[in-house]
Amino acid sequence: MSQVAIQPNDYKYGFKKPENYIFKAKKGLNNKTVEEISWHKEEPYWMRDFRLSALKIFEEKKLPMWGGDLTHINFDDIYYYIKPTEKKAKSWDELPEEIRDTYDRIGIPEAEKKYLGGVSAQYESEVVYKSIQKTLGEKGVIFLDMDSGLREYPDLVKEYFGTLIPPADNKFAALNSATWSGGSFIYVPKGVHVDLPLQAYFRINAANMGQFERTLIIADEGSFVHYVEGCTAPIYTTDSLHSAVVEIFVKKGARVRYTTIQNWSNNVYNLVTKRMRIEEEGVGEWVDGNIGSKLTMKYPSVYLMGKGARGEVLSVAYAGPGQHQDAGGKAIHFAPYTSSKITSKSVSAGGGRTSYRGLVQVFPFSQNVKSKVVCDALLIDESSRSDTYPTMDIRNNDVQIEHEATVSKIGDEQLFYLMSRGLKKADAEAMIVNGFIEPIVKELPLEYAVELNRLIQLEMEGSVG
Amino acid sequence: MSLIIKNLSVNLRERQILKEISLEVAPGTLHAIMGPNGGGKSTLSAALLGNSAYTVTDRVRGKNKPQILVDNKDITGLPTDMRAKLGLFLAFQSPISIPGVNVANLLKTAYQLSKEQRTKNHSSRHKEGLRARKDQKKLHNPALSVWEFNEMLVKEAKKLSIPQDFLRRSLNEAFSGGEKKKLEMLQAVILSPKYAVFDEIDTGLDVDALKIVATGIEQLKKKKTGVIVITHYQRILKYARPDFVHILVGGRIVASGNRNLAKEVEENGYRKWADNN
Repeated sequence: MSQVAIQPNDYKYGFKKPENYIFKAKKGLNNKTVEEISWHKEEPYWMRDFRLSALKIFEEKKLPMWGGDLTHINFDDIYYYIKPTEKKAKSWDELPEEIRDTYDRIGIPEAEKKYLGGVSAQYESEVVYKSIQKTLGEKGVIFLDMDSGLREYPDLVKEYFGTLIPPADNKFAALNSATWSGGSFIYVPKGVHVDLPLQAYFRINAANMGQFERTLIIADEGSFVHYVEGCTAPIYTTDSLHSAVVEIFVKKGARVRYTTIQNWSNNVYNLVTKRMRIEEEGVGEWVDGNIGSKLTMKYPSVYLMGKGARGEVLSVAYAGPGQHQDAGGKAIHFAPYTSSKITSKSVSAGGGRTSYRGLVQVFPFSQNVKSKVVCDALLIDESSRSDTYPTMDIRNNDVQIEHEATVSKIGDEQLFYLMSRGLKKADAEAMIVNGFIEPIVKELPLEYAVELNRLIQLEMEGSVG
Repeated sequence: MSLIIKNLSVNLRERQILKEISLEVAPGTLHAIMGPNGGGKSTLSAALLGNSAYTVTDRVRGKNKPQILVDNKDITGLPTDMRAKLGLFLAFQSPISIPGVNVANLLKTAYQLSKEQRTKNHSSRHKEGLRARKDQKKLHNPALSVWEFNEMLVKEAKKLSIPQDFLRRSLNEAFSGGEKKKLEMLQAVILSPKYAVFDEIDTGLDVDALKIVATGIEQLKKKKTGVIVITHYQRILKYARPDFVHILVGGRIVASGNRNLAKEVEENGYRKWADNN
């Protein structure tokens, strides 16, 4: 790829819109809606055209039938763009009781609760964000919301945007491409190590929790960055569809770790396309946790493009009553001497359903490839369900491929042991579940790990009570 | 104030295993229960802690009602965790492994739970007069801070020659038989229960480990824990000396006596009682 001048760009397209303009597109999706979205965001014309062609692809593509049940999504009953301020609940009392209750039980501070519930933007994090911005700016690191990224660095965005996950990749990537709003834009220059994890949480811009987030991360040669998004507390939203696209470019010798914990409320379809392109000697890691939603379909992918590239996917999913977590990972070996590891841990309780769906693909020209897939499922009770759909497409003999899969149930003897130490049944179950997912949880930033463990505890109390 | 077992009959999948067992264990005493394989020893320990796979049966309704009392509190129908909170402890014969649950965390949780409950018990007994209050003061050990707890844990682990890094490993995962038994002992010492049952704690231990474990049992006795040691062999009883020995054959206690009884078993085996049964 060519060198790009990283200079903030003055606004030069379209009209200037008045401050505080409130805009809400009509329900449903057509050319006019998409044009309006682009107009209101004051985007360059190429982005508007990109959106329009993506819309065409979205309309042409059929719903995927191989995964979870998507037939109940009514695409005409969705607001595709609302200025973020409009989305917030007007007061704390408007939030559903179970959401408020969970916040109380997790023990989240009041200000944070309101932020998570969409009642207000968090004041303190704005201060934090500004100071982080200053430190990052000195190193030449760009950390913005995607809308601002496009406005300030249109050339850089144009070079990468939609090249790793083109709109034609799948119906929901097309939908996102047509309607995207918010998400993060990160650029880390050559050789720069960002020591602290970058958290989307700090990026106060209300576009944070959009329905159709779009994230683009470019880690230039030899750089390092850890990006963390989401939170363990349930995110309440009236939107029933969340469809994000995340594209990450890991250049030669660079390393990127992307950590997500998502806990959407149980009415949400969470359909996400995530992909990393990893060059020679680069390292790309996905750490992905899915707790909430009605249906999640998400398979973070690593495209290993250069010799010695390594990719890892760690995924943990929890499906409670009425939930289906269809998650996993993909590793595509486009080059020799590349290695990948996919570790998936899923927990199903109270009739919930988890599926592991994964792909390991090795091309004929990719010799000396190593890949390991481990998927473990834990069932809490008889009514819960877990399935495994692993696909291996190996077209080279000079490879080392491993696949392990286990399904276990919480054993009566394990429960008896822990209860004999004074733990209530629900606490004993939570301890076993937390132990089961521990290999992945220990990879999370501490505060996320602690919250996730507490959340599992709450879920178990609920399922037993 | 004792652990009292009265007329305890227990079924496992419709089959009667224990037949009207009665036993009284006073604080600070050591009872050894010896017997051949299949005599019902492990059933007794499971039934005491309320393992739901076992059912306490009441053949002669009303008359010889089966009962388990911990310091006068009837625990017969209580769930396992309540029994533990009231001060019962079981060291398992084959401790199960639980991936990802580390020993230190489990012990900290269990320790906090045991302190919570006992503090509650003591405050409810507030009005029992001066003497009770004095006891209460002695027993009432408010839960230690996390820091103090870790210190105690490390100290006690050292006494049992358990390497410190074991405490951070997954419970019983990739532990040898002897290491598992020592971890059970460590838990007993840390939780300092009112009554502790050791189910074949001596199996799979070499002489050094056996001595260490026996020291743990003696330590508990000194702290007034009433102890039941379930075993095949007299071996451990040389180091942890029992006050009473009971022979459990065919689901019944067929003989009780002092430690000479253990010697007799060592010399002649259980045949004598097996024939009578």
